[in-house]
Amino acid sequence: MKTNFYEVTFIINPVLEEEQVKEVKEGFETFVTGKGAEIDEIDEWGIKRLAYEMDGKNSGYYVNAYFHAPGTIVSDLEKYFKLQENIMRNIVLKYDNKMLKFRDLQKKGKLPVVFVETPEEEV
Amino acid sequence: MLKNPAHPKKGNLKEKECKFTKAGIGYIDYKDVDTLARFVNDQGKILPRRVTGTSAKYQRQLALAIKRARHLGLLPFVAENLR
Repeated sequence: MKTNFYEVTFIINPVLEEEQVKEVKEGFETFVTGKGAEIDEIDEWGIKRLAYEMDGKNSGYYVNAYFHAPGTIVSDLEKYFKLQENIMRNIVLKYDNKMLKFRDLQKKGKLPVVFVETPEEEV
Repeated sequence: MLKNPAHPKKGNLKEKECKFTKAGIGYIDYKDVDTLARFVNDQGKILPRRVTGTSAKYQRQLALAIKRARHLGLLPFVAENLR
């Protein structure tokens, strides 16, 4: 079957115990692989401060995942995230050619730097 | 920029150039908060193209990236530290 490359980022409730956070992550992994996805990378950013208050919380546990999957995964994930009470926010992106190129460069660590000089220091 | 040679601002204005075109980047990532934060004012608003000099192509991508970052709580919708 034709598969696309997807990126998912979601925020887990930071109030949970470490065990529970792990459970949520593993639950996500098994769900995704169960729907025919091939996980490329899972990157945990850990607990980060939020820029604004979300559901009465000031921080969140970020998880960033990349995988290959058939197109049906998008609606499945939508339903899945709605049912997960411990996931506060999520974003699902399908990668197009430009984004794939970007990802390739990112993996090799050859991303062009947007700010070579720091304009703030000049002033 | 200014075509009229008699314009009082002629010579005082710096030619702005698009940082993204210069870097030759294909896609603006919403996770790259440090870069995105430079295109937002202290209230958290997206700066207009006329201020930053970003090309139209990248301004569209930039706006989308900033909005995604806001949704995930990486950037503020409105900065709190005002007043």
